[in-house]
Amino acid sequence: MKKRYLAMLCLACKTGYAVEDVNESDYYQDLPVVLSASRLSQPLSDAPNAMTVIDRKMIVASGFRTIADLMKLVPGMYVSYYKGSQPIVAYHGATDEFSRRMQVLIDGRSVYMPPTGSVNWADLPITVDDIERIEVIRGPAAASYGANSTQGVISIITRDAGAMNGKSVSYTHGDKGINDAEARFGKRGDAYDYRVTLAYTADNGYDSLTTPPNGYTMATFKAPGLLYNSNDSNQARLFNYRGDYHPNGIDRYDIQFGFNHDVQGVGFSDKNPSIYNNYKGTNGDPFHNLIGNSDFAQLGWTRQLEQGAELSLRYSHTRQDQYEAFPVYLAGNYYPGPVVQSLQTTRDEIEVQHTLPLNDTNRLVYGAGSQVDRVGGQSAMPPISLYNSSSYVYNEYRLFAHDEWRMSQKWLLNLGGMFEKNDLGQFNTSPRIALNYHVAPDQTLRAGVSVAYRTPATAETSYPLMQPGALIVPTSTVNSPGLQPEKLVSREIGYVGEFPEWATSVDLRLYSDLLSNGIYLSSTAQSFVNGMSGEYHGFEATLKHEFDTDNSLTLNFAHAWAASNGALLAAGGQRVMVSSDPTNSDILSASIPSNSASLLYMVRLPHDYSFSAAGYYQAAMQPFDRGAIDYQPIERRVDVRIARALNFPGNLKGNVALVLQNLLNQAYTEYIASNLFNRRGYVSLTLDW
Amino acid sequence: MSLTGKILVCFFLILLSGFARDSLAFDLRILVVLSDSTPLYQRFAKAFEQDLPQGMRVDLVQHAEDFDAQKTDLIVTVGVRAAYRAAEKSSQPLLAAMIPSTAYADLHALKQGSISAVYLDEPWRRQAGLLSTVLPQRKRIGVLYSANQDIAGLKSELARRHDILVARHLGGKDTLSVDLDDVLNESDVLLAVPDSGIYNANSIRNILMSSYRRGIPLVGFSDAYVRAGALCAIFSTPEQLAEQTAGAVASYARTQELPEPQFPIQYSIAVNRAVAATFGLVIEPDDAILHEIKKSSGGQR
Repeated sequence: MKKRYLAMLCLACKTGYAVEDVNESDYYQDLPVVLSASRLSQPLSDAPNAMTVIDRKMIVASGFRTIADLMKLVPGMYVSYYKGSQPIVAYHGATDEFSRRMQVLIDGRSVYMPPTGSVNWADLPITVDDIERIEVIRGPAAASYGANSTQGVISIITRDAGAMNGKSVSYTHGDKGINDAEARFGKRGDAYDYRVTLAYTADNGYDSLTTPPNGYTMATFKAPGLLYNSNDSNQARLFNYRGDYHPNGIDRYDIQFGFNHDVQGVGFSDKNPSIYNNYKGTNGDPFHNLIGNSDFAQLGWTRQLEQGAELSLRYSHTRQDQYEAFPVYLAGNYYPGPVVQSLQTTRDEIEVQHTLPLNDTNRLVYGAGSQVDRVGGQSAMPPISLYNSSSYVYNEYRLFAHDEWRMSQKWLLNLGGMFEKNDLGQFNTSPRIALNYHVAPDQTLRAGVSVAYRTPATAETSYPLMQPGALIVPTSTVNSPGLQPEKLVSREIGYVGEFPEWATSVDLRLYSDLLSNGIYLSSTAQSFVNGMSGEYHGFEATLKHEFDTDNSLTLNFAHAWAASNGALLAAGGQRVMVSSDPTNSDILSASIPSNSASLLYMVRLPHDYSFSAAGYYQAAMQPFDRGAIDYQPIERRVDVRIARALNFPGNLKGNVALVLQNLLNQAYTEYIASNLFNRRGYVSLTLDW
Repeated sequence: MSLTGKILVCFFLILLSGFARDSLAFDLRILVVLSDSTPLYQRFAKAFEQDLPQGMRVDLVQHAEDFDAQKTDLIVTVGVRAAYRAAEKSSQPLLAAMIPSTAYADLHALKQGSISAVYLDEPWRRQAGLLSTVLPQRKRIGVLYSANQDIAGLKSELARRHDILVARHLGGKDTLSVDLDDVLNESDVLLAVPDSGIYNANSIRNILMSSYRRGIPLVGFSDAYVRAGALCAIFSTPEQLAEQTAGAVASYARTQELPEPQFPIQYSIAVNRAVAATFGLVIEPDDAILHEIKKSSGGQR
């Protein structure tokens, strides 16, 4: 404050204009290109895919603490929980507990990891507060993002290094043991910006139930232990750093690293010999901890070239180690063990990309990349003298090109392709073509066709028959050597309309996806095989309306259905293809909720208050891979958040917020029926200075 | 040829040459003083000499510091530094080109003898015209300013269009981030004003990124801003200012009087179409925008 007075005094005593005041060089100075092509997000009306963007405002308004939950705001996305900290995020209905058909990227770095080919959401070294926005591509995008994006891509963009200039602490406390503490600080400089996050997040997952959910009787819920399947607490301690060095207007260096130490409660009580000593199971997976250590480092370099061209180079190293030790109960005998299992996974990835505007109407992006995945796994089961140790190295190389051609004011053609070669001897070509027709400047129709592949996961090519515990440790030998990638061909028609006079936008999509060479676990061969085929059809809609600048509504709706050869495979003796839904013999079809919807309303109120409400709906469905007991009835849920901004004297600001999830307590069961989601609330306090 | 014949030929030659240029113009001696010899001023000087009626004698001083009082009919300075130097050192009529309008009063007080100017900044009405043409839905115009900015004119222009000015005075160099956040919290478009304490090659990155993150477009005042990532800008190029200055000189040659200080008559706009697309804005072609601004901002003020 003193400084300001001083400055004003100086202004008052200063007479005359000085050359160092405003002069012509202020007008004609050269400036660095800041919002370059790669910085700018592609407008929905020009995108070759249907895309949902969840921005900071929506992240805050949703009240969610986890990244997986945010996916509930994407039309057609299935979000459910295998364990309190093991979400299943899948598009086109449920999968098994390892959702393997979605690519997930954080700032371009894939976190879709071997050996299971899935994402360990609890182990990610970022918090929800680190996220700037999430772009979700609905439908395959292998032409841009490579293999494993068969059903879509979740691209998480974290906050820029310069997004924060100051310090912030927050504490969240609530039901179910929710205890989150976070400290963040950052500094913007002339040539270097950085931000740091230190966080601890903890919760106790789902409650231990005392009565069966969904109106079941105890007799139906046969094993009484199912009710106590709630050892699913989670504690994560994480750290991340992002620096941005921009010494001149041409080069930009992105430096990131982070670490997460996570302890998850896993195991099942009905397999826990210490509680139910009359239990005669043979696959012991009692309550124990799964310990995860993951870290990453990422270096990026972007150079602005002439005429809007850009060259970028990115290297990243990702490591995920997991460890568990527990006693087992085999054929009626208790073995204090312990059985010890561990997994070490690393990925090194390098990618170079050149963005080249060929002329005013044509932009080409092309590049090459390579990655090395290393998987090591150990499983020691002393009670049965079984020891397994495996080690795999996979190299993958790719070339990609994407051309965006504005053929006229009305027509835009997106043409792209990815060529990948991997150590499994597979060579995949994933092309995409999309044509956007701007009927009017605000109205766009889109038609697209694309092909995507999913590379078999290590856990599929080297499937372990013995799976005690939570980890799947691949066997030392490949038992499905000829496994081919799954292939998805997607066709879609889209519409994006803006109605500025009504402050409304509409995004519609009609799709038809064909899955071939689908991979499933053969009961006859006791290994993974190709041979499942299926088709998905559906309709999705998003409507956004701004009542005024402080008051907006987002509505999502999805209708979907599927068909497969599941019933045929089941009839042929494939047990995993037997549908648990008595009304639907097609396991794929039964696992898709026919209708789902979400809405998010947010409003800024007087006196620094803000309020948001969210509603979620999901039709009944049979989780893939689960028994009839886990049938998921209709899910309805209302969440509310009320917050007040705090303004203290000086630079200190803050925010206090109350989040109530499932306000009406319409408890629903998740992927596993003993995960009952009932009302929960938490309060958070944030101080910024 | 007889002597009479020679005189007649000379007379006709003089007469003919008089048709090809303004009368009186041919014997005007002009001293052009550049602030320095960087390309910006060279661009002006080159265009100015081309636009000037033929026959005027133009001497060029490449650096303001090299200027000293010398015999000439009219001094044309380019840039603030040259204008000050000439105003201090000489009493000949002075036409100060390419200076901000805010610098003029001071210069006028300093100068003995007649003085006028061709400003380089666009009048507020024109800037407000750009805002309402390109962003008719965005009514809260944020401005961060510091010393020597008179934004009262902008405020009344915006009020005339039922827009709201959200102005914040910069607390100091260290408070840029905080003050910027304050403005962005309340605005739906950020209007940059020339002020090297706020907008410079070092700070532009944070300003553009901060506004972009919040979905707030920046409206700049040069094409460099638009290249950097501003949505659009209205500005006059050195060539446009040179042409106007040449016109003012021609007028002086005819009337022996300097015209009133004037804002740019010719101006350009630039639009970053990629940024517009990201913000989901549908923006007319440049020609249509210029036409609309001309229609809405009428005269020069």
